[in-house]
Amino acid sequence: MIPFVAVVSLRNQESRTFRLWIPLFLIWLIVLPVAILLSPFIFLACLICRVNPLQGVAVMCQILTALTDTELEIDHRSAGMSFHIF
Amino acid sequence: MSEHRRQILQMLADGKISADEAERLISAIEQPTSSTSPDGTSTSAGKARPKYLRVLVDSEDDGGHEGPTKVNVRVPMQLLRAGVRLAGLIPAPALSRANSAMQEQGIPIDLSQIKPENLEELVEHLNDLTVDVDQKDANTKVKVRVFCE
Repeated sequence: MIPFVAVVSLRNQESRTFRLWIPLFLIWLIVLPVAILLSPFIFLACLICRVNPLQGVAVMCQILTALTDTELEIDHRSAGMSFHIF
Repeated sequence: MSEHRRQILQMLADGKISADEAERLISAIEQPTSSTSPDGTSTSAGKARPKYLRVLVDSEDDGGHEGPTKVNVRVPMQLLRAGVRLAGLIPAPALSRANSAMQEQGIPIDLSQIKPENLEELVEHLNDLTVDVDQKDANTKVKVRVFCE
């Protein structure tokens, strides 16, 4: 399943936390028509680079779906940041 | 005693098989869920496949200037699989340039050897991967753990 939400959390040294929820599903809704419009150019670019366009699209979809559950947390002293993809 | 085990022991007693062969046969019937991979190595089907690659870095600064630093990264195994597939799509000229650039940096990895056929084998071997690095200097202690879960 493609990721729907990304959460970026920032904490400063005063322990104030700023959390940003990024609705990825809205981004996909915008990106999808753009990708369809650009598909002939993507196809041409794949041919020029000698890459199988179908394989390329499949791998990109696989990367997109595999991003779910990715997690990154960095804490330094009392400050920190985290990035989660759901 | 099961019938299979009795038969194996009988074959051993008759001298039809050696003790090593009998041991292998007995261990094979004791693990009925195990399967044999194409390369001949036995892998347990019941063993849970790891879903994530976890990297933990814990750094403590005893001098107190930098303070402790903790890093926690969780990468889905599916992303690694997709990454290897992506590496398989890179055109040959770009691969050779990437290889030469990495060798200049002292990383002797040939990306052209990473093929989708070897993908599952590569990811499955990460199952047993655990890297523990402990570094203690005068002022700092760094602990790095890389493992699959």
